[in-house]
Amino acid sequence: MPIIVNLDVMMAKRKISSGDLAGKIGITPANLSILKTGKAKAIRFSTLDKLCEVLDCQPGDILEYQRDDHADET
Amino acid sequence: MKQEIQSLRLSVILVRILFVFILVLCCCVPVMVHWYDTEYAAGVGLVSGSVYWPLTICLYLAAVCGEVCLWNLGRLLGNLTRDIVFVQENCRYLRVISWCCLLVTIPFGVFGFWRFLSFIVAAAAAFFGIILRVLKNVFDKAVELQEESDYTI
Repeated sequence: MPIIVNLDVMMAKRKISSGDLAGKIGITPANLSILKTGKAKAIRFSTLDKLCEVLDCQPGDILEYQRDDHADET
Repeated sequence: MKQEIQSLRLSVILVRILFVFILVLCCCVPVMVHWYDTEYAAGVGLVSGSVYWPLTICLYLAAVCGEVCLWNLGRLLGNLTRDIVFVQENCRYLRVISWCCLLVTIPFGVFGFWRFLSFIVAAAAAFFGIILRVLKNVFDKAVELQEESDYTI
């Protein structure tokens, strides 16, 4: 999927651990891990809202669109 | 909830009984076919003469498909009992069951040349196979939706 989740980068910038972040935004560490590893299929606005609030950033700092060049080749 | 569990248990028991019944029936196939061929011999078809070997082969092939079908049905019911419903494994079981039903069409379709009535059984098997195939497609879609729901954070 061409959407890249840069959550780990933002977490490193804000110096916050996975456990702390999961607790502050009210999701389980397992779900946060799914989000961090890019396995998630969708993200709720409410989750994004809390992430931006806790990490003090914009949605664009967490999510990034990267053009999939391989799709054009096939 | 209690009624649902009882219904599942009943299905499991019925599947097991039918599995054993078909196994027992397989042992009696030569005797039954011999009786049909020599004593009863009802029905007409394009090919005349003894139906002993065609019917024996047809019944054994159908029995193999039936046993594979029931085995997979048992596994599917086992998953349902453990509340594992919309998973790829169950779709695989349904696919195998549907293919088994469709495969039964072949021996009964061929036997139809000896006895026309057999075409009805072949058509019924094909009908079941197609219905199960559609059910499997529905399950596939449900699995996809379930995964999407599980991976929505």
